[in-house]
Amino acid sequence: MEFSIEKEVFLKSLNQIQGIVEKKHTIPILSNVLIEAKDNNIFITATDLEIAVKSFYKSNIKKTGKVTISAKKLYEIIKELPNKEIFFKVKDNYWIEIKCGKSVFNLVGLSPDEFPKFPEFNNINFKSIDKKLLSEMIDKTIYSVSSDETKFNLTGIYFNFENELLTMVSTDGHRLSLISNKFDNFENTNFILPKKGIFEIRKLIEEKNEYFNIGISENNFIVDTGNTNLVMRLVDGEFPDYNRVIPEKNDNKAIINKNELLYSLKRVSTISSDKTKGIKINLKHNLLKIYSSNPDLGDANESIDVDYSGSEIDMGFNSKYLIDFLQTVEEENICLYLKDNLSPGILEQEINNNYYCVIMPMRL
Amino acid sequence: MNRTIMHIDMNAFFAAVEQQADPALRGKPVVVTGRDKRTVILTASYEARTFGIKTGMRLDQAFACCPDLIRVAANNRAYADVSAKIIDIFKDYTSDVEVFSIDEAFLDVTGSLTLFGSDEAIAQAIKAQIKKRFGLTCSVGIAENKLLAKLASGLQKPDGLTRIPPERVTTILHDLPVSALCGIGPSTAARLQGLGVTTCGQLGNYPPKVLKRIFGVMGERLILMGRGIDSRPVQPTRNDEPVKSVGHSMTLRQDLTDSAAIGKVLLQLSEMVGRRARRYGVKGRTVSLTLRYADFHTFSRRRTGTDPISHSSDIYSAAMSILSQLILEQPVRLIGISLEGLQYSSEQYPLFDDVRQRQSLTDALDQVNDRFGEFTVMAGSLLDVGEKGSGVISPAWRPDGIRNVKVR
Repeated sequence: MEFSIEKEVFLKSLNQIQGIVEKKHTIPILSNVLIEAKDNNIFITATDLEIAVKSFYKSNIKKTGKVTISAKKLYEIIKELPNKEIFFKVKDNYWIEIKCGKSVFNLVGLSPDEFPKFPEFNNINFKSIDKKLLSEMIDKTIYSVSSDETKFNLTGIYFNFENELLTMVSTDGHRLSLISNKFDNFENTNFILPKKGIFEIRKLIEEKNEYFNIGISENNFIVDTGNTNLVMRLVDGEFPDYNRVIPEKNDNKAIINKNELLYSLKRVSTISSDKTKGIKINLKHNLLKIYSSNPDLGDANESIDVDYSGSEIDMGFNSKYLIDFLQTVEEENICLYLKDNLSPGILEQEINNNYYCVIMPMRL
Repeated sequence: MNRTIMHIDMNAFFAAVEQQADPALRGKPVVVTGRDKRTVILTASYEARTFGIKTGMRLDQAFACCPDLIRVAANNRAYADVSAKIIDIFKDYTSDVEVFSIDEAFLDVTGSLTLFGSDEAIAQAIKAQIKKRFGLTCSVGIAENKLLAKLASGLQKPDGLTRIPPERVTTILHDLPVSALCGIGPSTAARLQGLGVTTCGQLGNYPPKVLKRIFGVMGERLILMGRGIDSRPVQPTRNDEPVKSVGHSMTLRQDLTDSAAIGKVLLQLSEMVGRRARRYGVKGRTVSLTLRYADFHTFSRRRTGTDPISHSSDIYSAAMSILSQLILEQPVRLIGISLEGLQYSSEQYPLFDDVRQRQSLTDALDQVNDRFGEFTVMAGSLLDVGEKGSGVISPAWRPDGIRNVKVR
């Protein structure tokens, strides 16, 4: 196998797979990238057995073939090479020779035979999706995905296509974020996509794509962007019935300037304990007071003028949960609905209330 | 200001409690041991000590010293109970009581002197009350600091009352071996001997620079100790540093290799750790599993989760997942679980009902076990396990607070 390729193109192709290759080295071949040369293209494949990505790039093929090599090491080498054409050649016993300008690298490669096969799918009904909107919806739900591996069904974002509406939900058991938008050409279906796979989708969206199509095949979710195929296994589990935990909105509604609340939370929570980031709030007529105290440090408080005419309420929250939501809001104001200090609060965009976050309080 | 510190040390505590409970044991050589076959001497009565029997001896060694020795299996709950009551007596005389272990305490009586007359009056009153209520004797040491008070109580045993007045400190320390001081163990003593220091007098006069270079920050303290100076306050238990972990460990009745059998022990330990954590309202993010192999090689592995936990089942599954990643190289002799990274004051409420229901279930189980005793309601797989709960009093035991381990 032998080919030459522009450094920038090769680097980009290797950069794209760095997030996917196995870092724990439990199965050594999974930390490798598979490089295949055929039909005037090189095909770059990486997988951790849950997620696989394959993309192709134009290159000058002299001799077809396949090889695998450590994805991280190859990326580090290519990154440092001068901006010139790179000559890549596989010799006996999968030794790889890379030449660029005056540099020559001889690297140990591995046989491609042990590399897992990239899944093949037929008869998939690919649908084009508005990637900008999808990206916004990911940003507004990804932060509340659980990273607790024992709660497997919460380790991804739940997608629910129902009656031409896509609702995306995630929860870590303490808070839940939800956003819905109209997507008219999809059939009713629902599934959970894993967090790591979502990050890869997010990365793909950032790139220039010919098109952005998605499809489902049994337990796999597939993205096709023309030169890249991303396949991920759906999270095997049932997403909890989230509608039951979303409280009724009540009259205790405060309208608060988003930035004022965000920055004041950031300031006051610097005092909170590192473990819990707990803060207390007191909401009464047109005034929201935020305070926190820490036996080792001292205390802090701040007041914000708000629009509120409900009853006075005191409660504790994990400030991180509030901040996570506020950071994703583009509107000027948000609405905060509270009931009592044992019931969840709702934070919602003031105008487009298709996006909100339900947060359980803390006892402080 | 001159302080008056008292150190009270119960004489042969466990053995004495047994002798009081059973008159047939009085005046006889008695040893208190653990319950298992592979136990050691925990305490020997003064009668047994005359045969050369010491704490830490194996049973066969002890019987070799004294064939008529009477062995009593430890009744830890009784000791903890008597200890807590004795500590209550101390608290009648001063609020500054530092419980040093189950049978030792420091009292700062500086502020109580005018109230009760003198330090000796307080000491005599305490000794009389302990004798009258429990039939037990203790040795009391009185001095201006904890170091000297502890030294003083050791000078006369049993049933002693020794005072080291400030003007006698230099004389007493002059020829006293350094190892007599609490805080200088065998290895420090050996290192000091290498420097030609064997007595406290020599230690107190040693060039500070040299000791500092060899012992670091401890060097300075060592010199002060040699001179009988100790500024550490008596720290009542409630002002202790916040406890950093809740743990239990168990030496197994026989070494185990089977992971199902080990799992059963983990289940029991998880319940003990979880119960104690919940009783004091703490949760922890990290679960640590400690194993000791048959050859005493001991190691710990920990796992830190995203959310703080205190449910026994959560602790159990974390411990099991640590165990599942280990390849046991030898039979296991001791197993311990501890919950670390404790979080005291706050609690994040759960969003979902099932989690809340689990909380209510645990609360209900805890209430039953509070009322009817530990392990009244338990996992079915533990039904055929004999004695459950803590059989050993740890050195960190305290009469109240999170360190108060209920022993069986």
